[in-house]
Amino acid sequence: MLAAKESLMVEELKRHLGDKITKIEIVRARRVNVEVPPGAHRDVIKFLRDNFDVKHLVTITGVDLGDCIELIYHLSPDNRRWLLNVRTKVPKDNPVIESIVDIIPGATMYEREVYDLLGVTFEGHPNLERLVLPDDWPEGEYPLRKDWKPKEV
Amino acid sequence: MLPTYKLPIGPQHPAIKEAFHFTFELDGEVIVDVKPRLGNVHRGIEKGMEFRSWNQGTFLVERICGICNTPHTTCYALTVEEIYGVEAPPRAQYIRTIINELNRIHSHMLWIGILGMELGFWSYFMYVWRDRERVMDIIEMITGNRVNTATIIIGGVAYDIPPHMEGPIRRAMDYLEERMKFYKQVLLNEPTIRARTENVGVLSKSKARELCAVGPVARASDLKTDVRFDEPYCSYGEVSFNLVTYPYCDVYARALVRADETLESIEIVRQCLDKMPSGPIKLRLPRAPPPGEAVNRVEAPRGELLHYCKSDGKEKPYRFKARTPTLANIPALCEMLKGYYIADIPAIVASIDPCYCCTERMTFVDVNTGKRWVWTYNELRNYSLKWYKANGGGRK
Repeated sequence: MLAAKESLMVEELKRHLGDKITKIEIVRARRVNVEVPPGAHRDVIKFLRDNFDVKHLVTITGVDLGDCIELIYHLSPDNRRWLLNVRTKVPKDNPVIESIVDIIPGATMYEREVYDLLGVTFEGHPNLERLVLPDDWPEGEYPLRKDWKPKEV
Repeated sequence: MLPTYKLPIGPQHPAIKEAFHFTFELDGEVIVDVKPRLGNVHRGIEKGMEFRSWNQGTFLVERICGICNTPHTTCYALTVEEIYGVEAPPRAQYIRTIINELNRIHSHMLWIGILGMELGFWSYFMYVWRDRERVMDIIEMITGNRVNTATIIIGGVAYDIPPHMEGPIRRAMDYLEERMKFYKQVLLNEPTIRARTENVGVLSKSKARELCAVGPVARASDLKTDVRFDEPYCSYGEVSFNLVTYPYCDVYARALVRADETLESIEIVRQCLDKMPSGPIKLRLPRAPPPGEAVNRVEAPRGELLHYCKSDGKEKPYRFKARTPTLANIPALCEMLKGYYIADIPAIVASIDPCYCCTERMTFVDVNTGKRWVWTYNELRNYSLKWYKANGGGRK
């Protein structure tokens, strides 16, 4: 049984931003997946914020898929009753994407975390610094990438 | 006018006994800006999960946080079960709910004690923590452990709650209810607590929403958000309880939210004991789930907790991600601190309830002979009671 609000939102998204969305599906009740090309994620998140009150960003998950890094923005509406996953892929040889801090200010920590551990640069972030790794951590090593292995001690 | 200056605090013991670093920018004694620096206790658990089997992962996620370990295992189990396409049996769901609420009671009581400690109100801290032992004893009775209980596993729970434990749990709940009502009265009537916490660390409702605050911090700023209501998991859909919110937006409101939530949790435990169905408590599952992914949320004592798992059909997770509530509340914390005095820092930092761990058993070493021996918790407790009685005072 799918809630009416989710189907309505999927229809609205298809109608207004249909050309920018690669794939959209309702996984189960309270879960919606939206796949977009990089760059379009800002339009989708802005549209959701303005029309569906989606103002809560739970976190950003980065997944190393081999030749690209998938970013999943887990968003939730103001009543926080369901989760919407906006997914986009950035190539691993040039991992750059536009920041969404100006749309959702709560994204600062999560963008820094992905930058630190997966090496994705967020353009337009006010202070994109290390979050969890030490200051003397070597440049160009990103522990959550699949080709990075912990060193023998 | 004097220029502003920078004051580093931490990473050793910044108000709470946990490694965390702040750089405060101050104008006289007033905080103008604050920059947090995390990572002093970064352990690489997300990467570590990729080197362990799905079942071993249960015990590693439990160690993400010492205090709210149960919500982590619950969230992980729910997420992995979703990839398997199964649901734990109803009795297991009720036991999960009870263990989660016991965990919330002990975590909130711990925090209320800490608030007393931060304000210099040590007797309040001692009394609350003494009564918190009652709920720790109940957790130990059910699971055999006080802190990392290893109760919630993929496909159900490891330990049942047999009928003979119902009496002690109900008696402990009655005792805790009476004590918590008293501690709430102290919060309401004690002028020192009110003077130190009212209108301190204000986070407006619009800022809380904008900065994606979660849990008691959001609820103290009048945001009606609680995963137990918004997206009921385990058996929260089958019990009735109230969502506690306060409109004051300050440290005082955060204390009241936690005090009221403890009372609600006691009620949930009672209702679960009333309604608990009989039946199996765990499922047998194959070693590896099919390829797929799932994401789930759980209400930890500190707020909304999210776990994401991706499986490629092998025996180890392809990717595991956790977002803990303290990280979500750090932007809100930085906002709360601005405009207040240096002296308010401990109360405000503690008000988001960052967490630390405690230990329960002691090792003794006789320096003359080099002999070592270990005391169990009960031996230590009996020794302390005996000492206390012999030296005046003692519990009635």
